[in-house]
Amino acid sequence: MTPGIELLRFITRKLAASLPLIFGVTLISFTLTVHLGPDPAYAMLGKNPTAADLAAMQRELGQDQPFWQRYASYLRRLATLDLGHTESSGEKVRDLLARTLPVSFLLLAPGFVLGTVLALLLAMFAAWHRSGRLDRLITGMSVIGMSLSFVIIIIALQAIFGVWLGWFPVRGWEVHGPASYLNHVTIPTLAFVLASIGYNTRFFRAMLVNAMTADHVRTARAYGASPIHIMCRHVLRGCLLPIITRIVYSVPALAISGSLLMESHFSIPGIGRVTYQAILSGDQPVLMAVVGLSAVVFAVAVTVADLLCRLADPRIRLA
Amino acid sequence: MSFARAACAAIAGMLIVAACEHPGGSGHDPVVYRHAIDGIPASLDPAHAANVYSSTLVVNLYDTLFRYRYLSRPYELAPNLASGMPEVSEDGLTWTIRLRENVRFADDPAFPDKRGREVTASDVVYSLGRHFDPGTRSQGAWLWRDRIAGLEDWIDAGADPDRRIPGLYADDDSTVVFELTEPYPQLAHTLAMALSAVVPREAVEHYGREFGVRPVGSGPFVLEHFDETRAVLERNPHFDRGELDLAAEGHDRQRHAELGLDVLDGETYPFLDRLEIHFITEPTARWTSFVAGEVDNVMVPPEQADRVLASRDPIRFTPEFERRYHTQAEPEAGFVLYGFNMANERIGHHPDEHIDRANRALRCAIRDAFDWQERNDTFYQGLGQIFPGVIPPFLDAFDPSLDTRSTDHDPQQARARLQAHGWTPETLPQLTYGLEASVHQRQMFEQFRARMEAVGIPQNRLRSRAFASFGDFSRAIGNRELDLFFMGWTMAWPDAQYALQLFYGPNAAPGANSFNYSNPEFDRLFERAARLDEGEERTALYRRLNEMIIDDCVHIGSLSRTRLHLWHRHARMLPDREMLGGYFLRFVDIGATP
Repeated sequence: MTPGIELLRFITRKLAASLPLIFGVTLISFTLTVHLGPDPAYAMLGKNPTAADLAAMQRELGQDQPFWQRYASYLRRLATLDLGHTESSGEKVRDLLARTLPVSFLLLAPGFVLGTVLALLLAMFAAWHRSGRLDRLITGMSVIGMSLSFVIIIIALQAIFGVWLGWFPVRGWEVHGPASYLNHVTIPTLAFVLASIGYNTRFFRAMLVNAMTADHVRTARAYGASPIHIMCRHVLRGCLLPIITRIVYSVPALAISGSLLMESHFSIPGIGRVTYQAILSGDQPVLMAVVGLSAVVFAVAVTVADLLCRLADPRIRLA
Repeated sequence: MSFARAACAAIAGMLIVAACEHPGGSGHDPVVYRHAIDGIPASLDPAHAANVYSSTLVVNLYDTLFRYRYLSRPYELAPNLASGMPEVSEDGLTWTIRLRENVRFADDPAFPDKRGREVTASDVVYSLGRHFDPGTRSQGAWLWRDRIAGLEDWIDAGADPDRRIPGLYADDDSTVVFELTEPYPQLAHTLAMALSAVVPREAVEHYGREFGVRPVGSGPFVLEHFDETRAVLERNPHFDRGELDLAAEGHDRQRHAELGLDVLDGETYPFLDRLEIHFITEPTARWTSFVAGEVDNVMVPPEQADRVLASRDPIRFTPEFERRYHTQAEPEAGFVLYGFNMANERIGHHPDEHIDRANRALRCAIRDAFDWQERNDTFYQGLGQIFPGVIPPFLDAFDPSLDTRSTDHDPQQARARLQAHGWTPETLPQLTYGLEASVHQRQMFEQFRARMEAVGIPQNRLRSRAFASFGDFSRAIGNRELDLFFMGWTMAWPDAQYALQLFYGPNAAPGANSFNYSNPEFDRLFERAARLDEGEERTALYRRLNEMIIDDCVHIGSLSRTRLHLWHRHARMLPDREMLGGYFLRFVDIGATP
């Protein structure tokens, strides 16, 4: 079997195996939303409704239909990407996602990339100087970073760079091109990096320290190879699999969930804020679209992670 | 090419792009005002504009027949799309309203030639009629239901907009006639609400469900951009209401001297080229954004009150804030209160007279045990106005001489009432206290429970039930599942009838009477008062109704919160978020920064 066909078969098999996962996630979330979630009918009625108004609104929202009929209709909509309209504003859910997903991605991607790269570099320094001063300093700073509340970091950065120095806007997202993008994304990126770097550094350091105890690394050191060579060629490669898995598994959250805290505090019209509002108001079309897409993207991410792991370590079989 | 060169080239490229990006324009700088509000409007369809956030936008995108005068307090109605105030027949049953001429809808692809056409009386009829189509999902149908002759038959026949409603029709292109089933003096107020704004049928049909995000109106502004964080409105070139007459708007040279509005007298409005409304739900972000100059106004978050105030009674801002900003302390047109579920026989109405009396005593004891001043100091910075009943101080019908003992914290009296009616920790019913799941609401519950414990009502007699959302909380109230709940009520018009309807029997849950109060005498007097025009007789009836609620201990209350507003000195305006408003935005101007 050629590698191309093997790959194609693997992807097909993996995605097919994800179908029960997607089915399960959508069924559970749909059940929870319908039976335990907020009832939009009450929130959508005026201040003085009658029982007849309530019944009419419930009919209008399709709440009078049997559960399985509603679930089947939802799956059909998800499969055809006809996600309907939001209950609150009437906007097409597809348009809403197309409008907010890129914003969340553009907001979080720089912080994610920068935070990961910086954490990896710091972890490499700490691991190389294990138990030394530099290691203790980096580990200590990581613990402080992990202890800081994300909200406090956001407020402090807004006060320093937005109010005192006046270098960047405190909030908003009026992006017309690269300059305005940098203007609006800088503080959120800094906040994201500061909030995530502690966790990432600790995680990467633990992986790297473990990998450094391997025989082939000691052999390389004994040969007198340079630290950069040892770190990049031997240590990093040795612990690439958990790092890849962690990074790739973070992407669905980055792409779909957004960051509620960031989007709320910086008033950014991303998917996190929209999802949160939908949860509060019980806007089922939006909620179910986000949950359904999250399940699909997660299934794809699992497949991609497996493929990347195979690329990183050819010993892994695409089974 | 080395990495350094590539990086330099990339940076240089970005700088060039950035330099080209600046959205410049020739001619004068547009006059822009950036207004911050603390919530997000879900929809811009007038039929859904039942809260202050949607209303703020809708009344600036659409026209209502009437509006409130900019500076007059107490609030006074003024014609808006109407050319004058309504002509009401002697018996109060026929209202004739004439429209201004040459008012046009904004240009939009929904119209056949994409040019906005003239607003006619038929548009008013259509806009009100669509509230009764279930597909509209209206939040305002209750305002006119059972009030307009023949409306119910028209609804039963399918609410077809092509069929005439017997009691609501266009007499000609500029005359709307209402024929009512009974006098409804509040009708004019309902026609000042955003819910009654006039929409073109073409746009509703063209956009369907998406009409909520694609508004087409005849108001002072048109929508340029709308998302979850802001709306950008631009001046509507078709809008022409002449010049601002400050005297007619209630300008008082002494009271409004500081605002610098005089220069606007006789000028054509709206004064803004661009109005940005920012939805900033996080209080800290709102404050920081104001201090950084990114928005022009702020409703001061509670945690900043100590910083901006020099004294609380009377309310005075610090000299620093007075110097730097315009300041205003505005009592809300509404109130917060606790309610009992009178449909629950363990605490409310009971067919057995003896038990009914004991239940009343228990409710009154709970009311006596509660400490409003403590609530005010803990959660409202001590700035709220505590008053008995449900007629808040800003209304004409408010009775300053009304006995205030019902709002006093009197634990002794509470204990005495419980003892007199044989209530002991063993016989007390277990009550369910409903709350929205938030730290704030949980703290309020704990405060409430502590005050009850102090008079001998054990903690286990009060059980909290938290709800994830306002919709769930409303559902529980609508289903009569709660015994006690804390709620707010925002007045949509400045008439005590709007507050007293909370206790009108036919409005019982899921209607506005969340208390399920049922008192035939109250209902009879309410119906009588509701038909009367403003005057001494009506005021006397309102006050009597208010006393009945206090005597029956149906609620614990009430308190009107005070809102602190700051705005930058270059903004010439008097902000007002009450009466589901936003009308003032058409009169805002931006001057030179001092």
